[in-house]
This record gives sequence, structure tokens and C-alpha cells, in this order.
Amino acid sequence: MIGPVLRRAWREVRELTALVLRASALLLAMRLRRAVFVRQAYEVGYRSVSFLAITMGFIGMIMVLQSGYQAARLIGDYSLLGPAFIQLLVREFAPTIGAMMLATRVGAGIAAELGSMAVTEQLDALRLTGTDPVEELVVPRLAACAVMVPALIVLAGAFSELAGLLTARLVFEVPYAVFWDLRLLTYGDVIVGAAKAVVFGLVIPLVSAHAGLGAQRGSEGVGLATTRAVINTSMSIIFLDFVLNVVLYPVYAR
Amino acid sequence: MSAAASEPSSGPASNRGRGLLAAVAGLGRAALDFARELGALALFFARILARLVPPRFDRDELLRAGERFGWQSAPIVAVTALFTGGIMVMQSLPYVDQLQAMRLLPWAASFATLREVGPVLIGLMFSGRVGSNNTAELGTMVVTEQVDALRLLAIDPFQLLVAPRFLAMVVMMVALTILGDAFAVLGAMLTASAMAGMEMFQFVMLMREQITLSDLASGLVKAGFFGASIAVVSCYFGLRAQGGAVGVGRAVNASVVGSAVGIVVLDGLVTVVMGGG
Amino acid sequence: MIEFRRLTKRFGDRTVLEDIDLVIPTGTVQFVIGPSGAGKSVLMKHVVGLVRADAGEVRVDDEDVTHYSEAEFYGVRRKCGFVFQQATLLDGLSVRDNVALAVRYRFGVSRAEARARADTELTRLDLAAWAHKFPADLGAGLKKRAAIARAVALEPQYLIYDEPTTGLDPVAARRVDRLIAALKGRVTQIVVSHDLASILGVADRIAMLHNARVHLEGTPAELRASDDAVIRQFLGGLPDGPM
Repeated sequence: MIGPVLRRAWREVRELTALVLRASALLLAMRLRRAVFVRQAYEVGYRSVSFLAITMGFIGMIMVLQSGYQAARLIGDYSLLGPAFIQLLVREFAPTIGAMMLATRVGAGIAAELGSMAVTEQLDALRLTGTDPVEELVVPRLAACAVMVPALIVLAGAFSELAGLLTARLVFEVPYAVFWDLRLLTYGDVIVGAAKAVVFGLVIPLVSAHAGLGAQRGSEGVGLATTRAVINTSMSIIFLDFVLNVVLYPVYAR
Repeated sequence: MSAAASEPSSGPASNRGRGLLAAVAGLGRAALDFARELGALALFFARILARLVPPRFDRDELLRAGERFGWQSAPIVAVTALFTGGIMVMQSLPYVDQLQAMRLLPWAASFATLREVGPVLIGLMFSGRVGSNNTAELGTMVVTEQVDALRLLAIDPFQLLVAPRFLAMVVMMVALTILGDAFAVLGAMLTASAMAGMEMFQFVMLMREQITLSDLASGLVKAGFFGASIAVVSCYFGLRAQGGAVGVGRAVNASVVGSAVGIVVLDGLVTVVMGGG
Repeated sequence: MIEFRRLTKRFGDRTVLEDIDLVIPTGTVQFVIGPSGAGKSVLMKHVVGLVRADAGEVRVDDEDVTHYSEAEFYGVRRKCGFVFQQATLLDGLSVRDNVALAVRYRFGVSRAEARARADTELTRLDLAAWAHKFPADLGAGLKKRAAIARAVALEPQYLIYDEPTTGLDPVAARRVDRLIAALKGRVTQIVVSHDLASILGVADRIAMLHNARVHLEGTPAELRASDDAVIRQFLGGLPDGPM
């Protein structure tokens, strides 16, 4: 029972690697469709802002609430609430949870778009006119996400921080100036957060595009491709987060 | 919305005014759309509830759905949880190191995992795997007229398809969160051993001292709510799919995004209501 | 008996059916024919409430069902079996379970009893060998027959077929025809079709729709003998003519 599953997983990894290499090669050779790139960047950004505002805002509120309750019970003092919160936000939660959210919004969107094109034979039509689908479709999205995802993650962090500030003030009566305290934040934290944001920004478009391009014929083809995109992207994010935490541990643990 | 179009044009000031008006109108429209969607979801949920109390749902479908959902997501949840436990240890370690309070490491890592990070991440994984698959399945059934066929056979689609899946998802989410919690603790133990040299036995002992049942319970309650939310959202968008394969893809997209928002918002509500307890 | 009185249906600014008057006597096999898009399927969907009339009446067994609600249509649907163009079995269930599910919900019998009835019906329609297969594994002809089995197992008074032989190879098509013929007298059947072999081979009466109206109504012999230009074009399969 395990055999076929592993074999299929191995084949997917092989195909994904092929796509990654091809797309990277094209991008480095500056073969970028500028107009598509700009429109993709606009869509990625525009469609995600309100979504991130809601989700990351709530998450910020929840995190501060939970930490606040615990701080009250164990230490009786909220002075570390703000500093610890923003540190964890920058180096872990904004990149990871932000990327997971973007995996559903942007990743599913890419997979659904490319999957629809695969199923309605538009990809075949492209190939017949001598256009390479990877260059036309994947590379612009890769570049757009590489640029926009890190920016959106910064924005996501900002939304969470804002929500945290408000929560600390309204629920625990912690003054804004006390909560907004960067004394624990190091360059190491920022480097780690940035590294994660950049990596995730590459993972999301590549994994999602791969899933979308592989959509099967039939009514459920696009839906299943979208499912695959979301799951594979999410798992890659968690896995890479773990790896980056291990590798960069000396950087942020001082 | 057409009032904005009837302003006479004359110069930059009124152009800016028109642009602003259009933007506000757009915002209003978006808010109205959102409210309408929310209302429709609430009605959908009510129809599901009507088949749960008193119980009027298909037992075979319930068992089949439960089995399928469980098998589909168990490996993913286990692996995700394993890594999550490790990540939480690595994030807590610097603080615990600084305060020279190594014995707090198990608590620091597991507390947030059991209460928050675990249920939310497992919820997102469940939504991505089971929720979106469910939407794809129901969407395909709608688009190939199978749901119409059911109506003609005088079989209520809510009774046969939706209510059983709702129940199965709630139960499975709680079960999977228990599984996930176990794997998260395992991952935390392994990471603590590898990176802080803490013996696994010691880790477990300290955890048992410091983690309470209510930490576990509050996480499981959240998991149940997340399961309900994912079920309602995924079935809703699935049954409203139209336009062939492309429409089904769009429905899946809407489903995962809606589920993510639902998870986060419900998490907030439950956290506020349950306070620190 | 099914009756359409002055039935009118529009989709946007396109009038699909206008002032349709048609009576379908009990026990007969009535074919409704016409060019693609003539409104044949739409007409039939009125009987079971998948489409609602803009004007006129639909009567089933002398009951005016034109403005029934979804819940009220359940009563009508219990009397009428409907076989869709796409067969529409549930993908997730085997053929036998598909039939058994319908039986269980219609008659409220036990699972075992429902399965037994399903097996009986499948055997009668020569489908016993495929009882445990899933719809995805069956060809179009088998799926269509399984869908018919499901409809017939519910012991309906009326059976409505929406293009039952479209997309089937000639052998499978004639097998479906044979099924319809075998049910004559037991069930009132309405068949929407443009398969000439079926039309002329199985029908008791034929109604032809053209330009949103009933163009002609009569027995196969009457139609064959007619010298109406539209009928001649349709029966002859001629590309040029009034249609």
C-alpha cells in the first residue's frame, strides 16, 4: 500500500524539480513577460490585502490575549508582553502563518487559473503556437510572488502588531508605548524572518503552478489540482520553516 | 451606485472626488457582498442543524465520510504536528535559555501548541486536504447533474450528503487534533533532546506537572468549532458551483479562503469567550 | 395522464415554448421530437418542477402542478421517474448501491430489502454482471441502462427520458429501445429524442416541436405519410429545408 504512494510522491518531486530548474533558468536569463508580471503582481497584492488584514489581525489579537492571560497568572507583569510578541512575530509567526494564508489565497488562485487553462486545452493551444507555457505563465507568477509575498508578509506582520497593540491596550490596559518595545528584537530575528519570507515567496508559486499545470481532464480535475496546490504548499512551508529554524538557530539564538 | 456617474466633469478636484466616491462605493459594495455571503452561510448552517436535531441524516454516508476524511488527513496531520512541535521548541528555547529556566521548556513549547498553534495549523491542513476535496466532490456532483437527480428521486441532498459530512468533519477534527497533539509532543521531545540535551523522560515528566487538562480541552473545543466551520463553508461553496471544471476550481478556491477566515475568526471568538480558562 | 395547456416559457428574451397544448394518455409511449434547442427537454422538466412555466398549465393526473413549491413537487416526483441525458448515477456508489439507495429512500425498506430489490431489477435489465462496479468503470450505454434500472425500480407511473440514446452506439441504442418497448402498458413513457430509429420503431405517438410550438402530433404512420416540409426534412435528415 505504501509502495505506489511513495512512487507517485517521488515522481511528483521529480517533476516539481524539473519545473523549478526550468523556471529559475528562464528567470535568471531575464526572460520575463513584463506586462503579465506587472498584472500578476497587482493581482497578488490587491487580492490579498483585505484577507490578510482580517486573518492576521485576528491572529495578533488571539496571541496577545493568550499570552496576556498567562502573563497575568504567572508573572503578574505585562512588561515583556510587547517585546516577546513582536520578536516571535517577526521571526516566526508572520512569515509562517502569513505564508500559509497566502498559500490558500494566492496559491489556490494560481492553481485554479492554470488548472482551468490545462483542462480547457488552452495550454495545448499555447504550445501549438510555439509559446512555452512555463515562460508565459509560470515565470511571471514566480517573479510576482517573489516580490510581493515578502512585502505582504511585512504587511501581515504590521496587521498583527496593530491588532496586538490594540488588544494589549483595551484588554490589559498596557500603554502603546510600553507594548511597542523593540528591545528584544535583534538583527538576527529580522534576518531569519526575511529569509523565511523570501523562501516562502518562491515556494508558493512554484508548487501551486506545478499542481495547476498537472490538472487532469474531467469535472473534478481543476478542483483536485487546487487541493493539491494548497496541501503541498502548506506542507512545504511547515517543513522549510522547521529546516530554516534548525539551520538559522545560531543566528537568532544569539 | 449610479449617482456617482452623473456628476458633471470639470477639472482635477471633481475628478479626485469622483475617484474617491467610486472607491467608497466599491468598499460599500464589497461590504454588502460579504454580508450577503455571511447571511447565506448562516442559513445554510441552519438547514444542516435542522437535519441533526432531530437526527435525519444518512448513517451509511456518515461512516463512509468519517473513514475517508480520517484516512485522507491523518498522515498529513501527523507530519505537520511533528514539525510544529519541533518549531515551537526552537522558538521557546532562546527565552528559556536567557531566563535560565530550562525546566519551563516543556511548558513553554506545549502550552501554545495545545491551545492555539496545534488546532489552528491542523485546522488549516484539514481545510486544505479534506475541505477542498469535499468542495471539489460536491461541486462535481452539482455540475454533472447528480444533485438534480437526487432531488428528482425525492432524496434531500442535505440529508444524504451535507449533514453526514458535517458531523464527520467535526468528529474527525477533534480526533485528528488529539493525534496531532500526540505527534507535536513527540516532535517537541525529539527536538528538545537534540538541541537542548533534555532527556525525553524528563520532558514528559515536566510536561505532566505543568500542562493542565483544560489546556488540552480548550484546544479540542476549538478543533470541534473549526471542523464545523470547514464543513459549512466547504459544502456551501461545493453545492453552489456552476460552469463545469472551471467553476469547480473557483469553488475550491473560495472554499479554502473562506475556511481560513472562519478558522481564525472562530478562534478569536472562542478565545475571548473562554478567557484564560 | 399528463396535460400541457397553453404552456409558455421564456429564457430572457428568447421564447422557448409558446402556447403548447399537448395531452399524453396513460400507458402510451409518447415521443417528443424536434431540432436541437427546440425546447423538448425544457418541456419535460416542467412535469417534475426543474423548470417553472411563465404562462399556461401543467397537469399531472388532473392535478394542476404549475405553481407547486419544491416540497409539493416531491409528491409528483414520486410518480415520475426521470432519466437524464448524462445518466447521473452517484459516482461514489456502486451500481447496485445506487439503485438500492433510491429504493430505500422511496419505500423506507431495510437495507437488505433494498439491495434485494436492486438485484432483481438489475438482473431483469441484464446488468447483474456490473452490479458491483462503479459508474466511472462503465461505458455510456451501461450507465444509461443502470440509470433506467434505478428509475424503474421505484415503480413510477410515468417515466421521462431525456435523449436516452444520444451518444450511444447503435447496438446499445437498440437495447434501450427494447427496454422502453418492454415497459409499455406498465408505465406511461415520454421520450425526448432525435434518434430516428427509436422514433419510428418504438413510439405510439409523436409530437414535433418547431419554432416554440407543436408543429405536428400523430402516430408514426401519420408522420411518415405527412407531406409537411418540416417533417420531411427532419425524417429525411436533409441539411436544407425550412428548418
